[in-house]
Amino acid sequence: MLRLPLVRATGLSSSRLGAVGLHTTGSKSQASQELVEVFIDDKPVQVPPGTTVLQAAAKAGVEIPRFCYHERLAVAGNCRMCLVEIEKQIKPVAACAMPVMKGWRVKTNSDLTRKAREGVMEFLLVNHPLDCPICDQGGECDLQDQSMAFGNDRSRFTDIEFSGKRAVEDKDIGPLIKTVMTRCIHCTRCIRFASEVAGLDDLGTTGRGNDMQVGTYVEKMFLSELSGNVIDLCPVGALTNKPYAFVARPWENRRTDSIDVLDAVGSNIVVSSRTGEVLRILPRVNEDVNEEWLSDKSRFACDGLKRQRIITPMIKIAGKLQSVAWEDALVTAAKALQTVAGNEGAVIAGKLADAEALIALKDLFNKLGSEVLATEQGFPKDGSGIDLRSSYLLNNTIAGIEEADVVLLIGTNPRYEAPLVNTRLRKGYLHGEQTIALIGPNIDLSYEYENLGDSIDIITKLKNGSHPFSATLKNAKKPLIILGAEQLTRKDGAKIVSETQALANTLGNNVQASEDWKVLNVLHTNASQVAALDLGYGSTIEDVKQQQPKVLFLLGADDANIKKEDFPNTFIIYLGSHGDQGATIADVVLAGAAYTEKTGSYVNTEGRAQQTGAALTPPGMARPDWKVIRALSEIAGHRLPYDNITEVRSRLEEVAPHIVRYGDVEPANFFAQAHELAKQTGGSFLPDPVDIKQKTLDQFFMTDVISRASPTMAKCVQAAIKQRQTEL
Amino acid sequence: MASVSATTKYVRPVLSLNKNEARKRVLALYKLWYQEIPQILLDTSLPVTEKMCFDKLREEFRKNANETDIRVIDFLIIKGEQDLQETLEKWKNKGQLMDYFKVTVEKKPSDFLGKFLSGQD
Repeated sequence: MLRLPLVRATGLSSSRLGAVGLHTTGSKSQASQELVEVFIDDKPVQVPPGTTVLQAAAKAGVEIPRFCYHERLAVAGNCRMCLVEIEKQIKPVAACAMPVMKGWRVKTNSDLTRKAREGVMEFLLVNHPLDCPICDQGGECDLQDQSMAFGNDRSRFTDIEFSGKRAVEDKDIGPLIKTVMTRCIHCTRCIRFASEVAGLDDLGTTGRGNDMQVGTYVEKMFLSELSGNVIDLCPVGALTNKPYAFVARPWENRRTDSIDVLDAVGSNIVVSSRTGEVLRILPRVNEDVNEEWLSDKSRFACDGLKRQRIITPMIKIAGKLQSVAWEDALVTAAKALQTVAGNEGAVIAGKLADAEALIALKDLFNKLGSEVLATEQGFPKDGSGIDLRSSYLLNNTIAGIEEADVVLLIGTNPRYEAPLVNTRLRKGYLHGEQTIALIGPNIDLSYEYENLGDSIDIITKLKNGSHPFSATLKNAKKPLIILGAEQLTRKDGAKIVSETQALANTLGNNVQASEDWKVLNVLHTNASQVAALDLGYGSTIEDVKQQQPKVLFLLGADDANIKKEDFPNTFIIYLGSHGDQGATIADVVLAGAAYTEKTGSYVNTEGRAQQTGAALTPPGMARPDWKVIRALSEIAGHRLPYDNITEVRSRLEEVAPHIVRYGDVEPANFFAQAHELAKQTGGSFLPDPVDIKQKTLDQFFMTDVISRASPTMAKCVQAAIKQRQTEL
Repeated sequence: MASVSATTKYVRPVLSLNKNEARKRVLALYKLWYQEIPQILLDTSLPVTEKMCFDKLREEFRKNANETDIRVIDFLIIKGEQDLQETLEKWKNKGQLMDYFKVTVEKKPSDFLGKFLSGQD
């Protein structure tokens, strides 16, 4: 049984980890050390001591072939593909695991090296089936590529006994990952990923030598919120995408760079599409956001993009929604809008709304004289409210989370609300000895943490120093507070914000950390939230309910909290991509585009503006959301002054310039001022315990219209529930 | 071939030897069409006025106003003469003549709302 030891278990220090090639943004101490000179193919290169031969070669621009080595995982050194010759050494060494010594002359293309590679390649291929034509990895297979580049051009494999090649039984590890274990080359990347990044020790190896098998030891599914990443990691076709099985070849797909909107992290993705449908979604490397991982919801919910779609505008005729032409739907909606006088209109923006649609809708309703613009997940107005961005951003950035030494999570489950934020926390926990505490219910965060209880007044106790954990917080050099946005929708949300700000302020003053270290962080769950708050969507659903507007515009708002009973005399217009909660209660339904069908701007939870790319055209008569609003405005007699996306974006730039600075984080400030204003917030905490919506894995998969429409996600929920029941 | 010497390209003229001559031919063709338009209208009973025909004639000539290649101009003149002959001899039908006016072609909307409703973004 081969189990790669966890870092904490072996007590390795973080500097040691840096030496074996793990990404630790925290350990920058190496830079000051003396550099070692080595020669890669006679080319001199200066590297810090402890660098592996493989990394030094990469620095010199030479890529050494590898299967098991992965820069984000611990070094295993078991595939032997990276063997290279080093001058004056008898045996070739594994470049991925060998730290360089001064003056070493590495030969990456010598006869010995080539022979070693050919040998390794031959052994791998002897035990690998010849099923490339029916293998889903074909075209993006490391084994294929490297056997072409580094393998021998003739075979010695003659099975004269016709005994057949090695064959391994396939495992059923869930609805997302298809396994063909005969193809496995035992690189153990999936095992290392599961135990290091996903925090799940379900995968491992049994047997030795030719009998070695990768799998879950007992019959069990590999269910994690990050499980899809092992598909990308697998260098061969042993682990492939189950919903995508036998669907397409990579070279025939169109790839569109985009942004994921199913959580507020804003993971960078590539949308692979062909024949007018999204076939799969892959992560795109962005070191500051998602590194190279992607959560399962973002990756696999794409089949929800072709189900439950609104493809024509609809009007409610005799209690039933009927498909109509755009003219009819727009005229009906416009007539309703014309009845709005003063503050009688309201907007609720949903999770997936892009900034273009948000600004167009805000402009339209402001022209009508209405100011009640709400987001599905409200933000309390007390104190500075949404006026100071620092109150609602993940100020310290996602990458910055790794560097914290003490993290306090308040009413959030980052594992399911933002899986890629959780990987940072886990990384900090493993490599930086981060201490993590949680105020909230008992949940599995994939790392150890201290549960301080689920009473909200612990925040005050921590601030006053009357809680046992406050000593730890006070002694922290880089403390971090991550407040779940979900808690702010509580009745005492304003108090939670002000108390958290106060706590952050005390900690910030206390530790005297560097200027740009920001203690207060809010973790959002909705992709549209930060952009909406930036643009001034300051109201909550409660405000809208109180206002009883004549016309309510739901911009993709499908929250279960919005019910027809609450708005008996309200004309409801719904604009969105999927027929869900919002569309059913609407009087007019306007067909909008999903995130893969429009170029839209989104701001993630840390305040980073990014844009989606249109991989497809919207289905049927659906149109990009801002265009629908623009058309509606003209018919309603309040023409908005923009006709194309560039003009909309210049309008966005007038209101919030950072939204069109794609790729950049616009940092927020004025923490002290926000704290000062928050002091006036009265009220007290409610006795209700802190609750989190997404506590277990089955609650993770279906959170928005796209994932709710996805059959794959439904299967995942089933699998997660089944797994839990068998474990009990 | 060690060196490449510059050569003058000489092309055989189609009709005209220089620009001036081509211009004269164009004007002559224009005049010819202009003179024949009343007769064409009498013969074919097209649902257009004389004024519309004159405008269309100018428009058709103006389409090639930027042509500078003498050979191309010559070809256009030949084509124009052929067209005129076809019209006068009634080899062209009414529909073919009306094709110049594009009466059945619907104009594509250029404003936002028109584009939105017609589904072309």
